[in-house]
Amino acid sequence: MAIPGIHLTRIGKGNFLLEPLRSMNIQDRDNLLQQVVAQVQQGRGAHLYYDLGELPIIDQVYYDWLDRLARTCQAANLKMTCINMQPTAAFTLSKFITGKPAFATALDVPD
Amino acid sequence: MQKKEVSEKLTALFGLKIGNISAQLEATAREFFGADNKLMDEDEIADLSSEFVNLISGLIGSKDPHKRTSPQFHALEAFFSGLAQRMLMRGGNVEDVVRYAQQLQHNLIAALEKDSGVAFTHSRSVLLFFAQHFDELIMAIFRTYLSERENTLKAQEAELRETSTPITEIWDGVLTLPIIGTLDSSRTMLVMEALLNRIARDHARAVVMDLTGVKNIDSQVSHHLIQMVRAVQLMGSDAIITGIHPEIARALVSLNIDLSGVTTRASLSDGLKEAFLRLGIHVSHKES
Repeated sequence: MAIPGIHLTRIGKGNFLLEPLRSMNIQDRDNLLQQVVAQVQQGRGAHLYYDLGELPIIDQVYYDWLDRLARTCQAANLKMTCINMQPTAAFTLSKFITGKPAFATALDVPD
Repeated sequence: MQKKEVSEKLTALFGLKIGNISAQLEATAREFFGADNKLMDEDEIADLSSEFVNLISGLIGSKDPHKRTSPQFHALEAFFSGLAQRMLMRGGNVEDVVRYAQQLQHNLIAALEKDSGVAFTHSRSVLLFFAQHFDELIMAIFRTYLSERENTLKAQEAELRETSTPITEIWDGVLTLPIIGTLDSSRTMLVMEALLNRIARDHARAVVMDLTGVKNIDSQVSHHLIQMVRAVQLMGSDAIITGIHPEIARALVSLNIDLSGVTTRASLSDGLKEAFLRLGIHVSHKES
């Protein structure tokens, strides 16, 4: 079942790729979290890759969403890795986070 | 009324054949740009003088020669701006161009007098007309000079910025950034911008930042440095800091900078070894 504003694809054994669309509404956070985790679990996924390639800036609100999603994944025994973070987004995010984020980061989905 | 008289005088004056004047003015251009100065060849000097005479004739023959917003006057301004730009690019100096314009004014008046046989050096209004126009044209030369200078400074600044952040891909996916000299906030920001863009471009998986050449660090810069490490990590690369001097280490501790999430190594070679290890690259001596 499609999640509104999110494109979730199975990309390999246990790996899922989450591509946020422009229409994604993070105000409806709890509902989205539940649907994403449910769908990955149904697909017997273990690793969620969150593609940030289309996001030039990450502000506090968006970071809170990523943080909440990563922690929900941890609770469900899923690993979350943000990939393709843009230099501008990394720059803005590095300005306001103090500790290590709840999610891992990588340049891309490993081969 | 006076303006009209001047215009009539000038129009009558330029009813003369301009070919002779152009030839006389070539000597002025030759003096400043030709001969030993080698900034222009003979053909260019001839073209320059002829173009100038055409433009000044156009201005004087216009509806209102006094108007400095007329297309004819703008064309003259553009002529001098272009000349200044060309001479500066060829290694000439602004003083020569200004002196050329001043000399051109005098020689133009002299040439017109000679051709017309009228001693209008006694006509204050005509002289004032030329003086005012040439003053404005000299201003155009200076404006061009300043703008060229500004462009040169910007280009030099960009070059300096490029050379002060020599990011090198030392191995596939491994970048090194030796930082030399004093790190201030603006430079740290520039380094960070260049580094993050390079990581995105090269898909670098590890970055070794070598601080061997950094002697001083203050609170703000150390925070920027940590921010830089964090940004590198957020992009998905490993950041390794090497060559931290004891004074810098002491300063970082006394500034309460948390280095727990940062990998540090004593030297650049140790940093590279660590980066290779993380990427699973094995470098060894060739067996004999």
